[in-house]
Amino acid sequence: MSLQQIKLQAMSQSKRLYVTTMMQVVGRALQSISEQDEEIRKITSVFPVGFVFSMQVLPEGPGFALRKNADNSLAFLSELPEEKPDLTIYIKHLEHAFRILSFQESTAKAFANDRMLVDGDISYAIRMTRALNRLEAFILPKLVAQLAVKEYPDIPLPEKVIHGARIYLRVATNLISQQVKFA
Amino acid sequence: MSKGFYEFFCPVKVIAGEAALEHIPFELSALGASKPLLITDKGVRGAGLTDHVTGACEESGVTMVAVYDDVPPDSSTDVVREIAELYRSSGADSIIAVGGGSVIDTSKGVNVLVSEGGTDIAKYAGAGVLKRPLKPFFVVPTTAGTGSEVTAVAIVADKTKGVKLPFGSPFLLPNAAVIDPRMTLTLPPHITAATAMDALTHATEAFTCLAKNPLSDAYATGAIRKISDNLLKVMDNPKDVEGRLELAQASTMAGIAFSNSMVGLVHSLGHATGAICHLPHGMCMSLFLPYVLEYNLSKGESREALAELLLPLAGAEVYAATPEGQRAEKAIATIRDLREELYDRCKLPRTLEETGKVGRDQLPRIADMALDDGSIMFNPAEADFDEVLSVLNQAWN
Repeated sequence: MSLQQIKLQAMSQSKRLYVTTMMQVVGRALQSISEQDEEIRKITSVFPVGFVFSMQVLPEGPGFALRKNADNSLAFLSELPEEKPDLTIYIKHLEHAFRILSFQESTAKAFANDRMLVDGDISYAIRMTRALNRLEAFILPKLVAQLAVKEYPDIPLPEKVIHGARIYLRVATNLISQQVKFA
Repeated sequence: MSKGFYEFFCPVKVIAGEAALEHIPFELSALGASKPLLITDKGVRGAGLTDHVTGACEESGVTMVAVYDDVPPDSSTDVVREIAELYRSSGADSIIAVGGGSVIDTSKGVNVLVSEGGTDIAKYAGAGVLKRPLKPFFVVPTTAGTGSEVTAVAIVADKTKGVKLPFGSPFLLPNAAVIDPRMTLTLPPHITAATAMDALTHATEAFTCLAKNPLSDAYATGAIRKISDNLLKVMDNPKDVEGRLELAQASTMAGIAFSNSMVGLVHSLGHATGAICHLPHGMCMSLFLPYVLEYNLSKGESREALAELLLPLAGAEVYAATPEGQRAEKAIATIRDLREELYDRCKLPRTLEETGKVGRDQLPRIADMALDDGSIMFNPAEADFDEVLSVLNQAWN
């Protein structure tokens, strides 16, 4: 194997690891923000109870899935469901997922660049994109979030700090408990 | 600024100009077909437009094996199933759609059923479900606006379940779009105006929204130029064959542009207003276009693209005489002037109030629905409920 091939393989593996981790983080963070933010629950209110949303990289992941609860919050599913989710946003390639999840390409731009496909009701996909944008505005520093969303929303700093901290804490707790479970 | 990435796809053969219909028999034979089913609606047949198509075919020994002329304005799965049965029982081997958006979408649905088999069109709903080419399919548009003859999508209502089924696949595209000036020569003035404004909106949004790309841009600016040069001439002289052909070509070019670069908030508002207040799509486009462009501009978006559009909209002299920093505003003003001219000629509404069919109390519901429309994703400026409602209030009067 040439040095060039080794470098490419290492880069691909790093990207896969990054995308896999970020998918877990984003999925769990969506659960967390849906438990504390009324705006997110308004967004999910039109989905039927039990509605399953997933985001996956083609052809076989990584990805994450969430199920809507009766109180409009979202529950992170530890495994991708075997049955077809009600709505799936597919990302065409790992490289595209890396660009999106490293905030080099906003969700809207990724749609405009045909990086993603929607399988399900488009209006629900628009709502989930709005939820993702709001999440990014809470958990990312403003300078980074401005790259990820079309317009950075007007969120008071104390609200951003408190919500962001809670989301990170919840995500970290979930990830640690998962590690303990598998240990 | 160069576009970092884009996709562009349009495999439809465009057959345009005088005596274009007379090319249909040859094109059918090139695809090994000789027994077409003609799908249309009562209005188109009543106006004698299908006679031009059947006449052109019969002169070359091609006879329609059946004609279905009862496609309603909002087509449904039941209509698609009924026509598919006619296709099978008549022994047809190809489809010729003669009409506007509803006839074309219905025919796309029929082609799916007769090619894939079965009676349940819903099985094929969604994006990318179809995996192989369908039966030979020709489209002859009779309005110059929708651009459906070059789009890879169709919407068919399932009235039993109360939902609209979206279909998206490159296999939905017809083998050929036949643009013949005879087919739009008798369009009434208000429909000529509304459909041309629909095409103008397709081109303008294609040029100013997030998925714009160099190939779509070329089609969009070409379409805008043709509409700007010919719409008022045709309104003043409806029998202007050359002008009609230019508008019909502009519609197809705008269709190619927007099917590859999508549309934005004008369409989100138009879809919602059409669904709630039952206003014709073209009228909604004409109505919302300047207000949405102003909104985008106020958010610091589209200035450069709009400034470029002044050239095809108003011509070289106006473009050159307008200071660079004012060209975007001048482009919007030019669209407003065009709407005024159309109002003088056929009373095409300029505001929601002038339609007489929209209540101000309906605006919040329209805003709510527009926010969930797929096209809002591609609008260059973000818009929340209050902002969309504000645009609607601007468009009220």
